[in-house]
Amino acid sequence: MLGDWIQAVTGSLFWEYRRILLFGLATNFYVFLLSAVLAMAMGLLACLARLSPLRAIRWCGTFYAELFRNTPEYVLLVWVHFVPPLILTLLLRTRINFSPLFSAVVALGLASSGYFTETFRAGIQSIPRGHVEAARSTGLSGALTFRWVILPQAVRKMLPEALNQFISLFKSTTLVSLIAVPDLMYQVSMITQEQMRPMPLYSGAAIIYFVIILCLSALVRKFSEGWRAVGRA
Amino acid sequence: MGMLQRILWNNRGEFLEGLLVTAEISLIAIAVAMAVGLVICLVRMYCRPLRWLALLYIEFCRSTPIYVQLMWVNYVWPELFGWPQSFFAAGWAALALQSSGYLAETFRSGIEGVARGQREAALSTGLSPFLTMRWVILPQAVLMMTPSLMNQFLVVVKSSCLVSVIAVPDLMYRALRLTSIWFEPIEILSFTAFLYVAIVFALSAAIKWYSDRLRSRYA
Repeated sequence: MLGDWIQAVTGSLFWEYRRILLFGLATNFYVFLLSAVLAMAMGLLACLARLSPLRAIRWCGTFYAELFRNTPEYVLLVWVHFVPPLILTLLLRTRINFSPLFSAVVALGLASSGYFTETFRAGIQSIPRGHVEAARSTGLSGALTFRWVILPQAVRKMLPEALNQFISLFKSTTLVSLIAVPDLMYQVSMITQEQMRPMPLYSGAAIIYFVIILCLSALVRKFSEGWRAVGRA
Repeated sequence: MGMLQRILWNNRGEFLEGLLVTAEISLIAIAVAMAVGLVICLVRMYCRPLRWLALLYIEFCRSTPIYVQLMWVNYVWPELFGWPQSFFAAGWAALALQSSGYLAETFRSGIEGVARGQREAALSTGLSPFLTMRWVILPQAVLMMTPSLMNQFLVVVKSSCLVSVIAVPDLMYRALRLTSIWFEPIEILSFTAFLYVAIVFALSAAIKWYSDRLRSRYA
């Protein structure tokens, strides 16, 4: 029993495989970066749609955000990996496969973009109408008002929330191992199959993610306090 | 249409049973998470010497991805603690682990949200600390934390599809198995995704409606 506990926390197995595991962690960050870009782009588009004066476009934006906010990430991941390639294959009559990395980025990006839509919208709508009217009445164009009056304030308002979304997104990147993207969890399960010693590896992986995410969220908390203070001044 | 009928309608029993397992594991997980979260919250608030332990627990639950926790519980706990011995138990234990950390913080903010004066007034009228908790603080705190509690249930339902990875026969597991039997991922996976979206959307709409009603009635 005691031996088990000691084995659970010692890192010798980790040290042996450090190259592979580090590469896995780098893959996590790589998937995170790519899907974060996709999530922000799609989130911004859907948010603009939700703020559009046309009801039909507004409705599309709402539908988009609700759809992706309510789909479990794993279900979306599996769906994106298997269904669209098959539909494209049927339509184009040539065999099409998505690489695991591509599916992972698309699925996580879409899932996260639903949340970003709401975050962006809340940020933009928190700007009092009077600011827009004042800017317009001084002769600024619509685009300039957006660029110089709404955006700087909105970004400050939505930054803490957006940073938390990024952390959730990073947490979800662990799921990509399920469609064989070689991230940290994938490498851990591969090494486990080779060594038949799941305990130290899975405990180690849990501790690594714990430390990384704890540091990230501490940073976010520190930054958001600063940003809130600036916003108030 | 024939295809849809052949695959979806003829396997409706599979989908229904999967849904039942999903519901079952989510309900068990949220119930356990509430119990554990309450204990952790009380330790964090009222038990000075163990406070750091409760904080570490909360941070661990909240800062580790659910999939990592699931794997950890499934592979490591049986060796460390001799439990859980079944995949189903590992599934709800992992879901509960994640949620208990969030719920501990929800409970704390609910209890701390009740104005300090209320507690002092109750104590000064001669109520014991326990009775104060039971009759003054809890009723108000419960009202305040009900919406976030229900949202946490939504999170549990959403993450519950991951238990299919450790062979718990929930909706997702059955969908993947049917896919490998019939080789018709378009129909089966799309229908499964639709089911999940519909369930989560209906739940979140119900939660929103109920929280609005609570707010308009009591606040």
